[in-house]
Amino acid sequence: MSSDQDHLKETDTEARFEFKKEEKSAFEAEKGLTEETVRVISEDKDEPEWMLQRRLRALKQFQEMPMPEGWPGAPDLSEVDIEDIVPYIRPDIETRGGAESWEDLPEEIQDTFDKLGIPEAEKNALSGVGAQYESEIVYQNMQERWEEKGVIFCDMDKAVQEHEDLVKEHFMTKCVPPSDNKFAALHGAVWSGGSFVYIPEDTTVEMPVQAYFRMNSEGMGQFEHTLIIAEDNSEVHYIEGCSAPKYSAFNLHSGGVEVFVGENAHVQYSTVQNWSKNTYNLNTKRAICEADGTMEWVSGSMGSKATMLYPSTVLKGPGATDNHITIAMAGEGQDIDTGAKVYHNAPETKSTIESKSIAKDGGRTNYRGLVHIADGAENSSTSVECDALMFDNESTSDTMPYMEIQESKVDVAHEATVGKIGDEDVFYLQSRGLDDDDAKQMIVAGFIEPITEELPIEYAVELNRLIELEMEGSLG
Amino acid sequence: MSTQVHATLSEDQVEQISEDLDEPEWLLETRLEALAALEDLEMPEVIQTPGRKWTNLDALDYETLVDPLDYAQEKDRIDAEGVDVLSWSDALDEHGDLIEDHFGSVVDPQRDYLTALSTALFSAGTVVYVPEGVDAEDVKIRTTMNSQSLFNYTLVVAEESASVTILERQTTGDDVDGDRYYSGVVEAVTGENAYVQYGTLQNLSEESYNYQVKRGHADTYGTINWIEGNIGSRLTKSSVETRLLGDSSESQIVGAFFGHDDQHFDIAARVWHEAEHTVADLVTRGVLDDAARSVYEGVQDVGREAWDTSSYQRENTLMLSDESEADASPKLIINNHDTEASHSATVGQVDAEDMFYMTSRGVNPERAKNMLVEGFFVPVLEEVEVDELREDLDDLIYERLRQ
Repeated sequence: MSSDQDHLKETDTEARFEFKKEEKSAFEAEKGLTEETVRVISEDKDEPEWMLQRRLRALKQFQEMPMPEGWPGAPDLSEVDIEDIVPYIRPDIETRGGAESWEDLPEEIQDTFDKLGIPEAEKNALSGVGAQYESEIVYQNMQERWEEKGVIFCDMDKAVQEHEDLVKEHFMTKCVPPSDNKFAALHGAVWSGGSFVYIPEDTTVEMPVQAYFRMNSEGMGQFEHTLIIAEDNSEVHYIEGCSAPKYSAFNLHSGGVEVFVGENAHVQYSTVQNWSKNTYNLNTKRAICEADGTMEWVSGSMGSKATMLYPSTVLKGPGATDNHITIAMAGEGQDIDTGAKVYHNAPETKSTIESKSIAKDGGRTNYRGLVHIADGAENSSTSVECDALMFDNESTSDTMPYMEIQESKVDVAHEATVGKIGDEDVFYLQSRGLDDDDAKQMIVAGFIEPITEELPIEYAVELNRLIELEMEGSLG
Repeated sequence: MSTQVHATLSEDQVEQISEDLDEPEWLLETRLEALAALEDLEMPEVIQTPGRKWTNLDALDYETLVDPLDYAQEKDRIDAEGVDVLSWSDALDEHGDLIEDHFGSVVDPQRDYLTALSTALFSAGTVVYVPEGVDAEDVKIRTTMNSQSLFNYTLVVAEESASVTILERQTTGDDVDGDRYYSGVVEAVTGENAYVQYGTLQNLSEESYNYQVKRGHADTYGTINWIEGNIGSRLTKSSVETRLLGDSSESQIVGAFFGHDDQHFDIAARVWHEAEHTVADLVTRGVLDDAARSVYEGVQDVGREAWDTSSYQRENTLMLSDESEADASPKLIINNHDTEASHSATVGQVDAEDMFYMTSRGVNPERAKNMLVEGFFVPVLEEVEVDELREDLDDLIYERLRQ
C-alpha cells in the first residue's frame, strides 16, 4: 500500500502510466475519491495550477456535501456508491482512446445504431480513434468558417490550454459552482473533455454547432464539461448528443454545462440523449442570461436507469427570456426525474416551460420544476405546461412543481395533465387499418410534436425513431 | 426541539387531563404513549426548495406557548335531529366502543411531533355521530379559546347512508394576552354511501400559532367534502386530507384564505385515490396583502389499483402587495394509467382589464379592487353548504378589505 502511494507521487508520466496499469487493485482499495486521483487527472492534462486548485476545492466540497436524499419521490441512488467511484474511473483511463472497433460495443448499443439507420461512417466515427479523426475533420471545416469571425469551438481540455483567461473567468465560478450540489462538486473534481464555445459580439453562427459524443474517447467522458460564452448580440445553436446512445462503461454520469448569454444574445441548447440503461445521469446544466438575452433549452431524455436533471436559467437582466422544452420517456426499470428551474431576478423577464413525458412498462417519469420570482422582478411572467402520457398500470408519472413568488406584479400560470393513451384514439386509428403498435406510435408522435418541431429536422426524425424503438420494446 | 416542550410536560399533567374527562384506561395509555413519543418525533414535514424551508416550525417556542392544564374555553355545540353532537366525556359514556374503534384510525396519534402533542394534551373534544340513514344539516361546533394553549379533537362518524353538514368555528376570547397556541385534529369516518361536509372557519387572534390536521376515510360511494377557511392566526400549518378507500367514493377540498400584515398560511390539500372510479376536486383561492405569505401544497396521489380515476386541482392566488409572497407546489403522483388528472395554479394581481372595465363604469379604483377580490372568492363560497359558514366567511373577507 505504501509503495503504491509512493508511485502516486512520481511525476514521471511513464511511471504514472505504469501505475495505472499495475496498481489497479490498489486504487480499488482506496475509499472514495482521493486527492491523488485528482492530481493525476490534472497532471495528465498538463493543467495550470489554478485548475488543479479548483479541482481540489471541488473535491473537498464533494466530500463534505450530502447526497440528494430526502426529496419527495426522488430516484433511488443507493446503488451510486461514492466509495466505488474511483474503481469506476480506473478502467476508463486504461481504455483511453475508446473502443477499438464497433464490435467491441455492447450489443444493445450496436443494435440501436443499426435500427436508427445511422450510416456506416457515422458508426465508425463514434467507435474508434480513426473515426474520431473523421469527425475532427468535420469540425475543422466548420471551424475555418467560424475562425474568421472569431468563433472558438474546441474541446474543453484544449480550451484550458489555449483560452486560459476565458476559461479561468467562467469555469465553475458564477454559473455552476461546485457547491451547487454533490454531483456538481464531483464534476468539478474529476471533469474531463466536453466542449468550449465562444461567440464574439454581434456574431451569428447560422448553422448549429454540434458535438458528437465520443464514446470513451477521453478517459472520463462521463464527466464532460460544456462551456458556452455568447457575447452581446450573438446567436448560436448548440446541439449535443445527437441521437447517439452514449455508451459508458460505468454507471455514473455527472456532466456540467454552463452557458453565458450576453445582452440581447440568443443561445439554443438542444440535447437528445439516450443513455445505456445502467447509467445514473446526474447532470448539472445552467445558463445565466443578461438583459434581453434569450436562452432556450430543448431536450429529449430517453435512456439511463435514473436521471436527475433540471436545466436551469438565471434571468439576470431585464427583459431576459427563457424557454424550456423537454420530453422524457421512461420504460422498464427507468426513473426519469427531470424538469426545469428558472430564477426571475430582474423585471420584465419571461419564461415558458413545456414538458411532455411518456411512461410505459413500469417506468417512472417526474416533472420537478422550480420557478422563483424574486422581489422586484416586476412584470415578469411564467407559464408552465406539463403533460404526461401513460401506457399501462405498472408505470408512474408524477408532477412536482415548486413556485416561489415574491413579487406581486407577475403573471404565473402552471398547468399539468395526466392521461392514459386514449382508447378511442387507438380504436379510431385501428378502424382505419393501423395495427395497435402503429396506432400508439402515431399517437405518441402527435403528443410530442410540439417538441420535435423545435428541433432541426434530422434530430426530430431521430428522436421520433428513438421513441419508435422504445415503443417496439426492441431495446433492452 | 422536543426537549423544550418536554421540560414543561409531565405524565402527571396528562393523567390529570384524562381524569378530568373521566376517560377509560386505553385512552390514557394512548395519551401517555404519545407523550413518550415526543422525544423521538420530528416536526411536521414542510416543503423545502434549494436553500430554504417554506415554513419554519422550529422557530416556535413551544415551552412558553403550551400550558397543559389551562384549557379554558367556551364550546357551543348545536346538534341536528337524529345526530349526536357530544362533548368528549359524554361521548365516552354513550359511545365508548365507537370511540375506541375509530380513535386514531384515520389520523395517526403519533403522525409527527405536533400531532402527538395534541394527542397527549387534548381537552376540548367533540364527537359527531350520525347513525345509519340519518340525514342531518347544520351541525355546529363553535370553540372560543380562552386559554394560552388549546388542544382540540373532533371525531366524526357517519354510518351507512347517513348525511351531515358540519361547521366548526374557531375563535379566541379576550382573556389572554400575548402568544397562543391552538391545535386541532379532526378524524372523519364516512361509511358506505354516506356524505359528510366538514367546514372550518378559523378566525383566531393574530397572536395565535395554529396547527391543524383534518383527515377523512371515505368508504364505497361515500363522499367527504372539506371547506377550509383561514382568516386569523399569525401562523397556520394546516393539512386537509382524504383517503378514497371505497369504490366510487368522492372528495372535494375547498380552501379560502385571506392573509394580511405578517400572517403566514401553510396549507395542504391531499387526496389519495385507492379504489376504483373515485373522484376528487381540489379548489383553493387565496388573497395576500401586506407582508403576508402563503405556502400551498396540493397532492393528488393515484394508487396502483385506482382504476378509472378522475382528479382535478386548481389553486389561484391574488397578490395585493409587493411585500407578500405566494409559494405553491401542486403535485400529481399517478400510478394508474386509467386516470384523468389535471392541476393548475396561478399567481397574479387583480386583472388589469377587469379593473379597467370597472373603473370605466364609474367605480372608483379602491372599490373596484375590493369588488374583484370579493368576486375572486365566489367559486369557493358557492361550495359551502352551511349558510352560517358562507356568510361569516364573506363578512370576514368584506371586513378585511375595508381595514
